[in-house]
Amino acid sequence: MNLLLAPFRGLVDFFQALARIHRIVPWLVAYVFLLPLPEILSATGNDYYIYLTNRILIFILLSVGLNIVKGFCGQVTVGHIGLYAIGAVTSSLLAINYGWPFWAAMPAAVVVTGLAGIIIGLPSVRLEGAYLALATLGLGESVRIMIAVTPALGSSTGIMLIPPPQVGSFVFDDFQKYYYLVMTAAMIGIYLSFSILRSATGRAFMAIREDVIAASVHGINVPANKLLAFVISALYAGAAGALFAHMPPGFIHHNNFTIIEMVTLLLMVVMGGIGHIWGGVIGAIIVYIIYDNTLEFYHIQPLTFGLIMVLLVVFMPQGIGGVIDRYLVTKRFVKLREEKSDGAA
Amino acid sequence: MALLETRRLSKSFGGLRAIHDLDIDVEAGTIHGLIGPNGSGKSTFFNLVSGVYPPDPGSSITFAGTDVTKSPPHAIAKLGMARTFQLLRLFSEMTVLQNVMVGYHTHVPYSLLGTLVNSPRTRRIDARITEEMSELLEIIGLAEYADMPAAELSGGQRRLLALGRAMATRPKLLMLDEPAAGLSPVNVDNLLSIVMALKDRYGLTLLIVEHILKVVMDTCDRVTVLDHGEKIGEGSPTEVKDDPAVVEAYLGQEMDDEEVRQAMQA
Repeated sequence: MNLLLAPFRGLVDFFQALARIHRIVPWLVAYVFLLPLPEILSATGNDYYIYLTNRILIFILLSVGLNIVKGFCGQVTVGHIGLYAIGAVTSSLLAINYGWPFWAAMPAAVVVTGLAGIIIGLPSVRLEGAYLALATLGLGESVRIMIAVTPALGSSTGIMLIPPPQVGSFVFDDFQKYYYLVMTAAMIGIYLSFSILRSATGRAFMAIREDVIAASVHGINVPANKLLAFVISALYAGAAGALFAHMPPGFIHHNNFTIIEMVTLLLMVVMGGIGHIWGGVIGAIIVYIIYDNTLEFYHIQPLTFGLIMVLLVVFMPQGIGGVIDRYLVTKRFVKLREEKSDGAA
Repeated sequence: MALLETRRLSKSFGGLRAIHDLDIDVEAGTIHGLIGPNGSGKSTFFNLVSGVYPPDPGSSITFAGTDVTKSPPHAIAKLGMARTFQLLRLFSEMTVLQNVMVGYHTHVPYSLLGTLVNSPRTRRIDARITEEMSELLEIIGLAEYADMPAAELSGGQRRLLALGRAMATRPKLLMLDEPAAGLSPVNVDNLLSIVMALKDRYGLTLLIVEHILKVVMDTCDRVTVLDHGEKIGEGSPTEVKDDPAVVEAYLGQEMDDEEVRQAMQA
């Protein structure tokens, strides 16, 4: 295990050293590191890998958002894909029917999705655990069915020819150009999730996850903070949905928002590590690559993913991120003990 | 006017009357003890006063001059009431420092927006909070464990952390639900001295539920005795100790020789 985590540890040390210069420095360094990724991938001669990377980055946004409400606030929601659908449909309809540019349609979609987040979150005020999961599942799935039966929302043909984003004469019309857009969005999303979760609001979310009653008697407005968590995660889903809709080839279909996608998304968060900020990122990368490479076994995919999730919950409830966290905490604890015994000697 | 006043406070769970028509005044600046046999309604009283349970209609709870009968727990906490739990209810996956910082939640003056842009003001405030909370951890003696998850602490340390977390809310009234349960005599003394230090330093009023009579006798100015959800005695610790009604509730009715003989034959 030590051997396995050693390179990771080195990376953490490196970025912590950078953070000491200024808190934004590690982010800029990581950003610069990631910029040439499509060039490297295009060397394989297959644009598909860049497309795959873009999809992963969109799912990273989704799972980082889901981690806020599920991992940090402890609210079991299975309606997240519904919010993603709302973001995608809102943005594409504004762009196609009203000619809004992407830069106006996307923020509008984010706001609309945020409002929808309140509705998905409302059951959390009364319900917990499996009951909340069922309620949110119903809400999320009804969004998809609504899209599937309403011609104005695409129904069975989907929405086509969604225009790509454009800055001046520069059009984000191929996978490589789009990569810069989604990568920037994902980085901003991760950075903001760090800011939120390290603040008093983040602590309030965690306190609610750990013990609702103790949180409330220490002055935390539990219903308001639960809703806030839902809204924040909905904002992420809205942004991810809009980015997905405008990505070339500019086509969305209600089949993009099924319960299968939801299970995949849940698996990302669970495997990466619930309540671990990097968990959603790690999980999104691993699960999406597996998902994409096993598409030919689509008929047993949901079953397998569900099974993996059950096994993870039983044998590795904290996920990959949890294992890494555990390793770091143990290390710190041992160090503390050593310092103590040194002091005594 | 007392800091905390309850009038005709009642709570029934189905047919069970857990608390019935209870009038209690906790005067500011005092240490008030609440004792009674198991199931006498002490914990229910805490849950009612702190807003965890809604009281039955007709009850009234006034705290610091405000009617809080129907207030939610977080609003009551904001007025300056803090409590601990018998089963602690720590945020075990969070670090020790984070636990006390949650306690400080109501006093954090920045908004979520300030957090998002990570303004210098927000960072300054965060630094100040961290410093204040570290100081508090120093007083309760957990400073060196600040970055450990609360779950890693020993039983005694957890009790101290629960106390520290409640103190971080900067309360006027601190209610302790069996703070010394399960502690060794040495640790009980340690805990008591910390509680006293905190009381003097922050000018607290204390309401303590405790089974360990030594704690009650040594520290309390005034003691209320509950049995079956009703007040059966009140006064200074010595008065209460000699009250026949109290002795009966705790030890059962005294029987004379004749009754004992009949009971044994039966």
